[in-house]
Amino acid sequence: MSAPATEFAAPAGTERRDPHAVVEVVDVSVNFGGIAALTDVRLSAREGQITGLIGPNGAGKTTLFNVITGLQEPTHGRVWFGDRDVSGLPPYKRARRGVARTFQRLEVFGSLTVFENVLAAAEFRRSWSNDDTPARTVAAEIIRRVGLSVVADARVDSLPTGLARLVELGRALATRPRLLLLDEVGSGLSHEETEALGDLMVDLTRDGTAILLVEHDVELVMRVCDRIFVLDFGRIIATGTPAQVQKDPAVQAAYLGAAPESRGGPS
Amino acid sequence: MAIFLSFTVIGLVAGCVYALIATGLVVTYNTTGIFNFAHGAIAMVGAYAFWQFWQGWGWPAPLALVMVVLVLAPLFGLFIERLLMRPLRGAPVDLTLVVTLGLLLFLVGLAQIIWDPSEVRNLPSFFNGDGKRIGYVLVTYHEVVAVAATVAIAIALRLLFNTTRTGIAMRAVVDNADLLAMAGGRPIRIQQLSWMLSSSIAALAGILLAPIARLDILLLTLLVVDGYAAAIIGRLRNLPLAVAGAMAIGLGQFYISGYANADWVKRVQYVIPMVVLFAVLILLPQDRLRTASFTGAVAPRVAGLKASLVWGLVLVAGTMLVSTGLSGPNLRTAANGFALALVLLSLLLLTGYGGMVSICQLTFVGLGSIAMGKVGGDGGSLLGVLAAIGLAAGAGFLLALPTLKMRGLYLALATFAFAAVFDQAVFTQIFGTGGNQTVARPNIPGIPTGSDQAFLVLCSVVFAAAAIGVLAFRRGSLGRRLVAVNDSPAACATLGVNVNRTKLVVFTASAAMCGLAGVLYGGVTKQVDANSFAALLSLVALLLARIGGINTATGVLLGAFTFALFPTFLPHLPDFLSNQFLLTGIAAVSVGRDPNGLGGRIAQGAEKLRELLGLDRKLVSVPVSSDDGTAAAVFLEEEGRLVSAGH
Ligand SMILES: Nc1ncnc2c1ncn2[C@@H]1O[C@H](COP(=O)(O)OP(=O)(O)OP(=O)(O)O)[C@@H](O)[C@H]1O
Ligand SMILES: [Mg+2]
Repeated sequence: MSAPATEFAAPAGTERRDPHAVVEVVDVSVNFGGIAALTDVRLSAREGQITGLIGPNGAGKTTLFNVITGLQEPTHGRVWFGDRDVSGLPPYKRARRGVARTFQRLEVFGSLTVFENVLAAAEFRRSWSNDDTPARTVAAEIIRRVGLSVVADARVDSLPTGLARLVELGRALATRPRLLLLDEVGSGLSHEETEALGDLMVDLTRDGTAILLVEHDVELVMRVCDRIFVLDFGRIIATGTPAQVQKDPAVQAAYLGAAPESRGGPS
Repeated sequence: MAIFLSFTVIGLVAGCVYALIATGLVVTYNTTGIFNFAHGAIAMVGAYAFWQFWQGWGWPAPLALVMVVLVLAPLFGLFIERLLMRPLRGAPVDLTLVVTLGLLLFLVGLAQIIWDPSEVRNLPSFFNGDGKRIGYVLVTYHEVVAVAATVAIAIALRLLFNTTRTGIAMRAVVDNADLLAMAGGRPIRIQQLSWMLSSSIAALAGILLAPIARLDILLLTLLVVDGYAAAIIGRLRNLPLAVAGAMAIGLGQFYISGYANADWVKRVQYVIPMVVLFAVLILLPQDRLRTASFTGAVAPRVAGLKASLVWGLVLVAGTMLVSTGLSGPNLRTAANGFALALVLLSLLLLTGYGGMVSICQLTFVGLGSIAMGKVGGDGGSLLGVLAAIGLAAGAGFLLALPTLKMRGLYLALATFAFAAVFDQAVFTQIFGTGGNQTVARPNIPGIPTGSDQAFLVLCSVVFAAAAIGVLAFRRGSLGRRLVAVNDSPAACATLGVNVNRTKLVVFTASAAMCGLAGVLYGGVTKQVDANSFAALLSLVALLLARIGGINTATGVLLGAFTFALFPTFLPHLPDFLSNQFLLTGIAAVSVGRDPNGLGGRIAQGAEKLRELLGLDRKLVSVPVSSDDGTAAAVFLEEEGRLVSAGH
């Protein structure tokens, strides 16, 4: 499924777009009061693929997710979903075009139960799509799929973080996204649970879902990703297959080679 | 020219007082992060205390001034810091709101007990109102003192904040109290200092203001609220900007009153600060979407359909039974309780579930009463009821449009400004000074509502039906959506929810409920006036909902009835407690701290009882992993399902 490496690196400064992209950000920059969180970032994620986005703490990964979902207005640059420029759309309209995400800093519906969290998302989808599968059916199936059946009736604010992240995943899936943004969804999970999560992601791409994955677990990233973008200090410093990225000297210097403690370690 | 100059002088003096008020607010907000709603009440008590020493006990004015401004006010500041404000460090905005609003009510109540409002008191200007004629204009020494004091305080604060170590530390506290503590600073000391300072300045502002306005408890408290607009112009941080805003508001107010001829335009002068406050709030950039919740605590479980139906039936049957033994006034007191409970129920929906604060519910009630009176006519036609609901809903919708993006403190301030505008300009205009409006009881074909007893039963039915409806709404898909929007607006937006539309619908629905409450409220005494819907009462409603419990129907009923039955208890209470504002204030800062309130405690007690009796629940352990590597979590199991977890 992986394409040749030359295709990944878009020529800098042009508006040419990746024709296979479900989502593409073009020359996006974000400044927070003078601090550049992102600088001219160009990235795409493709249908049926898992695209990794890695980088040290503070590299700008979450900020990029916020830009894609519309929660953060970029200082400069555009966001495309397929062949449609969505830069001016509010978050809820982007979601209705098939994008869903999880949050690194949890944004669960704490006063609802696990089942209700997923059910609510399924009901949201019903209200804006013309899919009329009963929301309860969708929710029940997803709860099973992400492995939350045993805690389905527990209030989410009483769950350990690892499980709450799975609730966010289930909630995102309930909107049947074409593009799924996962922000460190695996942290807080045990080794076996992470394995299962990896399998679930691969499984999701079989229906054509595009996944953009932010993850500090290098092993998981290398195992499931088709392509990887490496972000450092707000700039893309490398792009390629897992093998290519692993060998890249710039990446080794900036990220993989550096001792995690010196960059603050995975969070 | 003479007119222009004299209004410039008065406007400048008013501006100075507003500037003093804004300064005090900004100081405490910046050092403690708490917006002190009670600031105006502190100024009012300062003015009364000064009157007491000077006029009441015959102290010389300078000595009385020193006593109040430099001794009593700082002591009071120390006292509230220790008792109320220190425990609020790091607390969510809603709690700081409840506590400072509670303090406001407490001080109003206290002042009403000490200085009986029916007695007229007069606080003379300094130097007997003497002054000097400059050109055409008489400038009183009182005015000179006011301006000089403001300038002196502004300069002193500037020096304090920019040159002294303590002042620089004060500026740093709000930004990072922990950092300052590590660096050897003493946040507690500095917070004490800032509460002392702001109480002093507030007292001085009150003393300067009272002779210009009038020594009146509610008037002074609300006038001082006008200074809040200036503080907001300075975005609660920028003192020079706040002072400039204060001057602009003061001048604008008096130019309008000077040049306007029409009566209604003159009335506008009182609401200018509120309109400015409202406008600035709308223009202020708001935070990006993020989690923000008013209640913040684990809410009791929502009653099921069967339980709420039984509860409603018991309530109505109980009311019928009790009503047979009640006299006329008591029947009306109870009916009033249900009307108030309906208002609180609208807050259950808006604030308890939706996390939006409103301090203007009584304004919607007022609109409902007026519409019922005007459209319903003497016969109390049902069209009036529809008009009441429609008018209130429309007003709620229009208010919600610009305020949707606001949260917490800003929404509270904006709704309060709205209530104050209606209180001081719109309702007074509609009723005319001292006027009132008759409101007939709704005439439902085939059902008698004329007698007090029948009307009470009707009120209980309306409340029970509304409560059952609200609970059903909460359990349904829309209710889930509302709770979800409250828990995480950001997540909802990324799941395709138009967050603003959801809020708009709920705000409108909540206002509509208040409109219906207005029909009942008017029907109790069959006549309403401007005082029935004072802005302060909206504040009381919010606190009552919080005291009773803002997320259970039983809670709001409790909150409403403790207040409504107050006149019945009154004769049995000791004098020093015989004021409903005072008691509400005390209850707010004590019971109101817990968002689940009394109702929540009852629900908790019931839960405990079930556990003690070992009813259908047991603890089970489920293997899960979490961040810190613990491998099991404990869950409560109920009828074979896991319902809550601890780890
Ligand atoms: N709202 C904000 N205001 C100011 N600065 C911000 C804001 N959000 C993020 N930043 C800054 O932008 C930079 C990028 O942050 P971001 O959270 O996107 O990094 P990240 O790659 O997700 O890091 P992590 O691996 O820790 O999650 C950081 O320096 C951060 O401090
Ligand atoms: Mg991040």
